[in-house]
Amino acid sequence: MNRLILKYATPITVVILAVFAWVVYSRIASGSGILVLAVTAVIVWVLGTAAFIWFWPRMIVGGFKRAILARGLGGGPIPVNTLYAEPSSSSSSASTGSLLATGTDDVLYVGGWLDLSAGPQVLHVPEMAGRYYSVQLTDPTTSANFAYVGTRTTGTAAGEFAIAARGWRGDVPPGMPLITAPGRGALLIGRVFVADEADQPAAYALAQQLSLSPL
Amino acid sequence: MGSGLGWVAHSGIVQGVIIGGVFAFLTATLVLNLVARSQTVTVNGWSSVPRVGQPGLGILTRSALAKALPAVNVFEEAAYWTATKDAAGRPLRGDRSYVLRFPPGQQPPNGAFWSLSATDLVGYMVRNDAGRSTVDDRAPLVANADGSVDIRLQRTAPDGPAQNWLPTPAGPFKLMLRAYLPGATVVDGGYRVPAVEEVRA
Repeated sequence: MNRLILKYATPITVVILAVFAWVVYSRIASGSGILVLAVTAVIVWVLGTAAFIWFWPRMIVGGFKRAILARGLGGGPIPVNTLYAEPSSSSSSASTGSLLATGTDDVLYVGGWLDLSAGPQVLHVPEMAGRYYSVQLTDPTTSANFAYVGTRTTGTAAGEFAIAARGWRGDVPPGMPLITAPGRGALLIGRVFVADEADQPAAYALAQQLSLSPL
Repeated sequence: MGSGLGWVAHSGIVQGVIIGGVFAFLTATLVLNLVARSQTVTVNGWSSVPRVGQPGLGILTRSALAKALPAVNVFEEAAYWTATKDAAGRPLRGDRSYVLRFPPGQQPPNGAFWSLSATDLVGYMVRNDAGRSTVDDRAPLVANADGSVDIRLQRTAPDGPAQNWLPTPAGPFKLMLRAYLPGATVVDGGYRVPAVEEVRA
């Protein structure tokens, strides 16, 4: 569906604008006033443009949230504060449009939605033994990636990382790093490197061990 | 009450809201696309967006990049380049043959891996007879005598090493090159991906 909208965006737009032109024309032709329509349209246009721009990151990340919680990544809906690992990397057959169809077969994806309103969550990472991986945490209000756990930022050793909403007060166990999220929700996307088909089971086993639990 | 609703129905206010709302959506789309384009760096036909996903961006920039590249990694984590044109500025097409030549030691610097894939223009892989749409650094790519490495981009298998061949889709296509944990020269913009050259028979 999204793909069709992308493909036919221009003709769809032209048809909608033609309908608008017809509405305006028929109002003028029938002698109904056009002033109220015009003033309303201009006000909504100006305010709406600003609102669309302001809320665009929320719409995008909110789309990921709804997709994760309602459909999942292929294994059914993913409840909040749980992670799901895709068993295989996208391949030429993925053209049906997976949520994360970025056309890469270098990584296995892990996805989930964090809800920190009931308290912090702990991200558990298995020993990756030098294998490249990353866990990206994305703020739904700005779509900024506010924190990473992974090879680049924390290394590939096993570990536990507390994630709390800004303003949370409490103590994390000694030695456990604390990541502060800008809000109570966050999109989590994990990527675990898979070298080739023979490496896929090992990579999938590790991806499945990325998990969340309450602090 | 009834006359109020009647006025609303006949005044054109509903049509005004609908028309204004659609215009607002189209205007926001145009503005964000323009901002995203201004954030895109294109060198040798390869485009990248170094600020994608960064915290602390302004409202326009963050919205534009959220629209263009939703939930994409920050550049320090993974650098992505896309190309739809060859060195001469002509659109990449499946009925032509191309070569991407990395000079000696000039494959994308990285701390994890790099890979190159060919997709349709929307970004989806297209099934082909070779059963793959990717060339990456795990395959032992065969170097030329001078140490450079040629990636051959064409629909049918070329003469020469199969692992250096990237099968391309039939119609117009898009290339995506990615380097995970990109090296410092990638992050600071010093590294340049070579242009894709057409090979004429």
